[in-house]
Amino acid sequence: MELQDIYYSSAEYIETASGNKVSRQSVLCGSQNIVINGKSIVMTDCVIRGDLANVRIGRFCVVSKRAVIRPAFKKFSKGVAFFPLHIGDHVFIGEDSIVNAAQVGSFVHIGKNCVIGRRSVLKDCCAIADNTVLPPETVVPPFTIFSGSPGKVNGELPECTQDLMTDVTSSFYQHFRPHGKGK
Amino acid sequence: MAAPNKSSVKIAPGAVVCDECELIGDITIGARTVIHPKARIIAEAGPVIIGEFNIIEELVHITNRFPDGAEGKKNSQVMVIGNNNVFEVGAQIESTKVGDHNVIESKAFVGPQVELTSGCIIGAACHVTTGEKLPENTVIYGAKCHRRIQRERPPAQNLQIDFLTKILPNYHYLKKVSKAQSPPK
Repeated sequence: MELQDIYYSSAEYIETASGNKVSRQSVLCGSQNIVINGKSIVMTDCVIRGDLANVRIGRFCVVSKRAVIRPAFKKFSKGVAFFPLHIGDHVFIGEDSIVNAAQVGSFVHIGKNCVIGRRSVLKDCCAIADNTVLPPETVVPPFTIFSGSPGKVNGELPECTQDLMTDVTSSFYQHFRPHGKGK
Repeated sequence: MAAPNKSSVKIAPGAVVCDECELIGDITIGARTVIHPKARIIAEAGPVIIGEFNIIEELVHITNRFPDGAEGKKNSQVMVIGNNNVFEVGAQIESTKVGDHNVIESKAFVGPQVELTSGCIIGAACHVTTGEKLPENTVIYGAKCHRRIQRERPPAQNLQIDFLTKILPNYHYLKKVSKAQSPPK
């Protein structure tokens, strides 16, 4: 199925040389510590906390409206450290979700209104259903679907998840178009 | 940025309050409290008094709302938040009495009739709207908001506060410590 075009006003988004589309209404704290590898979309009212630790986001990622991406902290005997957060390629993060993870693999789908607990590890090719609350330090294995509060395994993903997510995120990027661009 | 009206925000020395957060109305913030950017504290129905060593993360809404039937009465109620509380990302608090050492996790909602004593944990995405005083060390968790009493209260987050007070000024403009009632830039 072909995705519908989603139009945005070209004044609202900045398109970088590497093809990232970042909303001017998003909050990127400590932007020198945020690396977005290209062709990713960061929508309105997102918060990315690069001030706490480095955040690296891969290619073809979609961070939907009002999502929060913040590195997780861990308490040690001497002080606290925030862990750098790596997000792989072709990752979709739904609206209003809070990602406190330590690591998010590639080809991951995170639904709407989720809370990903502190220092969770989301491996490649997994999915988190809408409204899921993952407790801290959860490890989500590949090809599983987590849902509920607290999040539990609820199903499996097919082996072609990698291709499906690649298709979804890259066609989302292609259909996320500026309108009123009179060229 | 939304300038605090009539600059009735009092910030004690040692507190770290990012300039990007929204403080509206008569608000007092105690020493060593850390307020992340994009937090919102709205003192609508009366003053909000926040104690020491609290962490208020981004997208937290702390609202001192008018009680039902008392709209428009200024200073009808005072909202008091004690010490050592942690409000995680996206929590919403309308309770007028919050004690000490509470943890309100992400996306939790605490209604106006609830009174938090101390050591309570409101789990992620749990809504508490009943009219009651939660006993000490109550933990509310899970999709159905189960309750239990834990034996000890959650540990204080002083180390995190130390870290944040060190690191946040490097990246954010801070709201000035009060007394010098100068309008922020």
